[in-house]
Amino acid sequence: MASKIRTLRLRPLNAKPCNRLYHSYEHPPPPGPFNAAETSILTAALPHIPSHGFTHTSLARGAKDAGYIDASTNLFPSGAFSLVHYHLYTQRMALARHKHILEASAADGKPLGVGAKVKALTWERLMGNKEIIHRWQEALALLAQPSNVPTSVSELASLSDEIWFLAGDTSVDTSWYTKRASLSTIYAATELFMTTDKSTDFADTKEFLNRRFTDSQVVGGAVRSVGEWVGFTAHAGLNVLRSKGVRI
Amino acid sequence: MTSLATYRRSVLHAAHLPVYDFLAPSFIQIPRASRVRYISTTRKLAAIPDQSSNTPNPGQSASSNAPSLKKPLTQAQREFLSQAFRVNQAGELAATLIYIAQTPPIVASHPHLRPLMKHMYDQEAGHLETFNTLLAKHRVRPTAMYPIWTIAASALGWGTAIMGREAAMACTEAVETEIGGHYNEQLRVLVDMVEQMEESGEEVGNELKELMSTIRRIRDEELEHLDHAVENEAKQAQPYELLTGIIKAGCRGAIWISERV
Ligand SMILES: [Fe+2]
Ligand SMILES: [Fe+2]
Repeated sequence: MASKIRTLRLRPLNAKPCNRLYHSYEHPPPPGPFNAAETSILTAALPHIPSHGFTHTSLARGAKDAGYIDASTNLFPSGAFSLVHYHLYTQRMALARHKHILEASAADGKPLGVGAKVKALTWERLMGNKEIIHRWQEALALLAQPSNVPTSVSELASLSDEIWFLAGDTSVDTSWYTKRASLSTIYAATELFMTTDKSTDFADTKEFLNRRFTDSQVVGGAVRSVGEWVGFTAHAGLNVLRSKGVRI
Repeated sequence: MTSLATYRRSVLHAAHLPVYDFLAPSFIQIPRASRVRYISTTRKLAAIPDQSSNTPNPGQSASSNAPSLKKPLTQAQREFLSQAFRVNQAGELAATLIYIAQTPPIVASHPHLRPLMKHMYDQEAGHLETFNTLLAKHRVRPTAMYPIWTIAASALGWGTAIMGREAAMACTEAVETEIGGHYNEQLRVLVDMVEQMEESGEEVGNELKELMSTIRRIRDEELEHLDHAVENEAKQAQPYELLTGIIKAGCRGAIWISERV
């Protein structure tokens, strides 16, 4: 047990950037993935994405707009991918500000259920790609590069976690995993579908998304955790034996 | 009570550490009605950590209200808290399942143990509820071994129960010894963490203070279960050493895995 205290003290504080750790309500959140200089350049670069894409050009223009010399783009060792990461990060953080969903009530005045909130938040996140959707395939290519895959996967997982958390889901059993895995899959598939959607107001994407939710039954459906099933089966079996007079 | 004292001594001896006051059960400092047997306040108390804030309010919002001395928790501190929550939830899940599985066979042959089994189960259910709430609130993922522990704990509870009352109580004794020691270990790290924060002039905050008192209370209740087990002839189980040895080793393995996976 003394060793535990020691490891707690000695472990380097920036061992690995890992989100989804203990979330405190009293202590300020730990610093995000981008420092102040990076944030100001990337923020300034975002408006250039629709015309210049997720490219070094957008990054350089952002640096210029933010008052940095062109060479400051050297701040970004992963180049244009930083723009993709920044887009994912800011869009994810923006979800918490959708008060109209989080505090909304259904037609009959009752607060929206978890499932309805998950759907609505997922849609809001997809709409966060609206302005840059014609450039999103470039971003997907960057996201799929081997060196970027850990960040891509981690961002997708964080997005699912954020949506379930904001929607008020409190399950902490095996369904914690199945819920996040299902939502990640649904989101990734719909996001890809959206890059080829030419319908007005992305009506086809919306329909595609609704169908994915219906198929998976991840919200409002009968998602049973493995543990629940095993427990139920074992319990039923024991009861049968007990009813036969076996003393177990 | 003698067993409790022996237990505390053995924990201290094993750790080679000076006496910390948190090792003393909190009922010594605060007279508590809940020490009365068969009356559990666990469920009522379990709701307390929940009251401060239940609205999902992540990220920046937490820091906005007051210019305080609070700094962000370090990566190591957040990792420790996440691991502690995860393993505690897994342990309490296992404990409730052990009692659920043990109760029917034990009560069938020893009806007078029904209130005791119910009392201990109720407390475990309260502990589990406490950690379920804490995990969800603080966004800590549950252990991925959840289904495995479900099966293992049920099998352990059922298996020891059909071996008889003594074996069932030996199981409780072994599990509670490991869990009690585990909670003490956590308290020690938390006390250390809080001391460091106070030394550097940081404000500790209610969140951590409440957590410490919750863990201290639960630890006391686990030690109470340990006493009950010993009172019910846990030591008479055959083969006692082998049985408790295996169960203790299993607990330590499960704790190690649940912290990580
Ligand atoms: Fe417990
Ligand atoms: Fe216990």
